[in-house]
Amino acid sequence: MEKEKVKISALGKVLLETGALLMSSGANTNRIRLTVNRIASAFHYDAELLVTHRALMLSLADERKDKFYSSLKRTSPHGVNFRLVSGISHMSWKIVEEGWTIDQIQTELDRLKELPHYPRLVILTFVSLAGASFCHLFGGAYVDMAITFVATFAGLFVRQQATKMRFNPYLCIFFASLVSTMLSGLAVKYGFGENPEAAFSTSVLYLVPGVPLINSFTDLLDGNIMNGMVRGANGLIITLSIALGLLVSLFIYQI
Amino acid sequence: MAEWFDLLQKSIWCGVAAVGFGILFNVPRRTLWAIALLGLAGGVTKFTVLLYGNGIIIASLLASIIVGFLSIPAAHRKHSPPMIFAIPSVIPMVPGAFAYRTMLGLINLTGNVTSETYSTLMQETVNNGLKTLFVLMSLAVGVFFPMLISRRETFKQIRTKGDEPKQKQE
Repeated sequence: MEKEKVKISALGKVLLETGALLMSSGANTNRIRLTVNRIASAFHYDAELLVTHRALMLSLADERKDKFYSSLKRTSPHGVNFRLVSGISHMSWKIVEEGWTIDQIQTELDRLKELPHYPRLVILTFVSLAGASFCHLFGGAYVDMAITFVATFAGLFVRQQATKMRFNPYLCIFFASLVSTMLSGLAVKYGFGENPEAAFSTSVLYLVPGVPLINSFTDLLDGNIMNGMVRGANGLIITLSIALGLLVSLFIYQI
Repeated sequence: MAEWFDLLQKSIWCGVAAVGFGILFNVPRRTLWAIALLGLAGGVTKFTVLLYGNGIIIASLLASIIVGFLSIPAAHRKHSPPMIFAIPSVIPMVPGAFAYRTMLGLINLTGNVTSETYSTLMQETVNNGLKTLFVLMSLAVGVFFPMLISRRETFKQIRTKGDEPKQKQE
């Protein structure tokens, strides 16, 4: 009897942690609910979940409905991490197929949390390369692509640095947008390059809130209207922060 | 011929941009090649549709539907959820230029506008803004499209039951 109680609360904690990790690394609401239910049913428990942007609420019951566990967990600050989403998805199927114990799940979650990000220089280089590709797609020549590359590199560096210093996330994006457009704005101001407008407008595209906006629409289509609206509002504030940085640069250079 | 070469070149840059975003979103290393190919496929579809004189909205919708469908076999092969492939691959299609022009238009509208310039400025701003909104919506719907028509909650079920990803209940 006592053992059962320990088990249900241990499972509840693991489930909440799984859900909170998925939420903060950019999974949509339906995926969170499915994953949690899948793990719970592998242990023959019924899970009911309330998913919001900043907190999860779980109510767990055994099949005879005589043991309950219910708890809340706050989600950590959001940062897209698809390696975690992929790892948890992989894990949830292994739990079902191989009959894992709760301790195994906890160990795997701890391992997934510690998985490394790409080296910082690799991230900076490839994202800047992506910015340069955008510039090409919007009709920039090689000179303009180089300008976008430099502007993106500097902006992303500033954003990472600001995030490390624990500034407000929207403020981090504002700083990044400001730095990028200040650099690419120089080209517009002094007419450097073949199509400086292209470089200027694409130098902030690495900040575009693609994941919040796409998740917002998928949540809305799934019927998770509340979460969809919250994610949409988040994307909107990010967009406004980008625009504000751009605006300040336009004002400084008087373009 | 020259325009097809240009199209291919642009699509390759789409693939490069997709990989860049994949790295920013910290995708598993084994999925990077698939993301590059999906970005390329999306780019080829989008620019081909545009080449035949269609609008940017329908081009983005078709391209993201293609990406959505291709993300399912990629997910099976690389053991990761489809969204991990689909989201970085459609981000190069985000209408950044239109969003920028909308922003610029709004800024100009807050300045001193005369009645002559107002109507053209307003017209351009609304046009660019609506294009931005609808392209974004079509990207999201396109990525989600395979889920909608297959009426399944997860694509893993398809493999465990051993039938085709695109099979519909009819």
